[in-house]
Amino acid sequence: MSLTSLVPLIGISDVVIGLSLGSRLFLIAVGLSLIFGVLGVLNFAHGGFYMLGAYVTLAVVSNVIDNFWIAAVVGALAVGIVGAVIEFSAIRRLYDRVDSDLDQLIVTFGFVLVIHETVRFIWGSGSYSIDPPDVFNFSVTFGGSTFNAYRLVVIGLAVAVLIGLWLFITRTYFGSLVRGTSSDREMAAMLGVDVPRLYTGVFFLGSVLAGLGGALSAPLQSTSPALGDQVIIDAFIVVVIGGLGSMSGAFVGAMLIGMMQSLGPQFISAGSIAIPFLAMVIVLLIRPEGLFGGIGE
Amino acid sequence: MSATDTSSRVSRFRSAVAEGWTRERFGVLGALALILITFAPPFQVYLFTDFLVVSLFALGFNLLYGYTGLLSFGHGLFYAGGAYGIAIVLRDLGPMIADIVGTGISPLVTFMIGGVVGLVLVIIVAVPVGWLSVRLQEIYFALITLAFGMLGYSLIIQDPAGLTNGTDGVIVLLGTVDLGGTSLRIGGRRIYYVISTITVVAATYGVWRIVNSPFGTICKAIRESPDRAAALGIDASHHRWMTFIISAAVVGIAGVLRAGLASVASPGLTHWSTSAIAVIATVIGGATYFYGPFVGAFIFLYIRWAISRFPALEAYWELFFGALLIAVVLFFKQGAVGGLLLLRDRVLGNNDDSDPGGRENTVDPGEQASAASDHEDEPGNDNMATDRGDDT
Repeated sequence: MSLTSLVPLIGISDVVIGLSLGSRLFLIAVGLSLIFGVLGVLNFAHGGFYMLGAYVTLAVVSNVIDNFWIAAVVGALAVGIVGAVIEFSAIRRLYDRVDSDLDQLIVTFGFVLVIHETVRFIWGSGSYSIDPPDVFNFSVTFGGSTFNAYRLVVIGLAVAVLIGLWLFITRTYFGSLVRGTSSDREMAAMLGVDVPRLYTGVFFLGSVLAGLGGALSAPLQSTSPALGDQVIIDAFIVVVIGGLGSMSGAFVGAMLIGMMQSLGPQFISAGSIAIPFLAMVIVLLIRPEGLFGGIGE
Repeated sequence: MSATDTSSRVSRFRSAVAEGWTRERFGVLGALALILITFAPPFQVYLFTDFLVVSLFALGFNLLYGYTGLLSFGHGLFYAGGAYGIAIVLRDLGPMIADIVGTGISPLVTFMIGGVVGLVLVIIVAVPVGWLSVRLQEIYFALITLAFGMLGYSLIIQDPAGLTNGTDGVIVLLGTVDLGGTSLRIGGRRIYYVISTITVVAATYGVWRIVNSPFGTICKAIRESPDRAAALGIDASHHRWMTFIISAAVVGIAGVLRAGLASVASPGLTHWSTSAIAVIATVIGGATYFYGPFVGAFIFLYIRWAISRFPALEAYWELFFGALLIAVVLFFKQGAVGGLLLLRDRVLGNNDDSDPGGRENTVDPGEQASAASDHEDEPGNDNMATDRGDDT
């Protein structure tokens, strides 16, 4: 098939949808990656945090205040507090164990079940959806294809978060503490860094990002309790491909997977959902540190 | 007066229990219990069969986790491998086998051939998957097994070869054996229970022999100290690979039994949430003990059943297991078996709080026999307790 016959198949709207899917994945994956890079914890419950963010936002919009942006901030912060409580009450106890990695994974998996069931208990098993905020709820026609303007806002916010995080980690005092603790925890502790508090802070930040991802994508998808389980696997793929602990890696990986989800089915009819997992296996075998390495890059 | 009376009765009880708790008597009691269950109500027979199958699934998983320290989140792949192996044989080869052996006995023969095919299929998949996976450890091993499991899930759903029937899965019809007038429905709950029991007991015995063989000892040595094992000339990754294959094969047998029990081989078996059942059962039961997965599976299925008695709670049974899982990992790494051993020591008077596993200092002479057998059964020894359990 020649290039000229391929190109018209890719609508601009598919690209925008792919990038917006990638943006929501980025917001989960970057928090997951940040927590792993600093604490060494692979947080299985991160998908649950994302789902919780979406639910809290929906609840606030429909019950408390009819302003999406305030609701999204409330949702993100609520998830951050849940995350900080989980770190403080449970995960903290495991840092000094010999095989702490696996124990942490199992404990956070326990929280997957707890969060899933709690959400079901409060909001039921049905799915919810809301419209994008009115200001951006219009269609954009570009290059012959149509998409909702809100998708562009999500993409823009994801880029803003990437830049903001990068500035935060590389340019601020707290960021330097995070980097220092990430590379040598004992030394940082000896130099007077309050490591336990820093860990809770980083876990809070990572959880806020997941909650924000959930909040922002609430208008783009239907929110159901199964959402967390679906999204955590995509986030695992993203962080593995981008490199556990790498923020720019999380961004590139997320956009790659988002585009694959959007465009993949048009090119490969069979096996398209298998490809991300195949990519994950290959990256783990050839470059376990991911295509991009290290925190703060 | 009453005090001395009570204490003498207690000590008599203690010695009777201590002398009586030998492995042979346990075996006889266990066999009796298994036979008695045949006469239970149909649903209870079904539930117990389910328990046996999940036990074998978790036992296979724990061979890898408890004995080499590798946590797999993709063992659903092998569970499904066994299930699809037998389901496809039953669907596609049933008539052919009936032509060869005659229609009377053909369902049983087909079932057995299907089981063997399922097992072989699992081993064929496990050899390369294991070889690649054991290069990684800890979190990375968990991630790559998760990826392999989900890769299998995607392929079964999308069904590029036209074998797995997509999201619907393959229906399993076990058929009826007809022996000159007596007909036995293989899928009948009691018959299937007997088949499952024989298979699970045999597989468990096989695993027990492997665990207590020189090979098993080497695996434990690798888990405790990979560097020291390597210094002794042990090829750690080779042993991990072999353990992976054996573990997958055991899970595959459980998968074969699952297909018959559920009457369908469905793609959900490959999903990571199925793999997680083995993790939950093993951790709750006690990963450091050989029988941990059995106790964990028992708790998993029977507590779930008990919860389902209360319609208000039924939908939220996962909440209970999530909380239990967190509590066990945080506070009591020995799991339920550790708890039971602790309770036994309390009853027998070997009250030693410094030893929650109840594995050392059991000096009561009458208890020596059973204590010694426990030592053999446990993948974990005292190093294990200090390494994994008590340092919260």
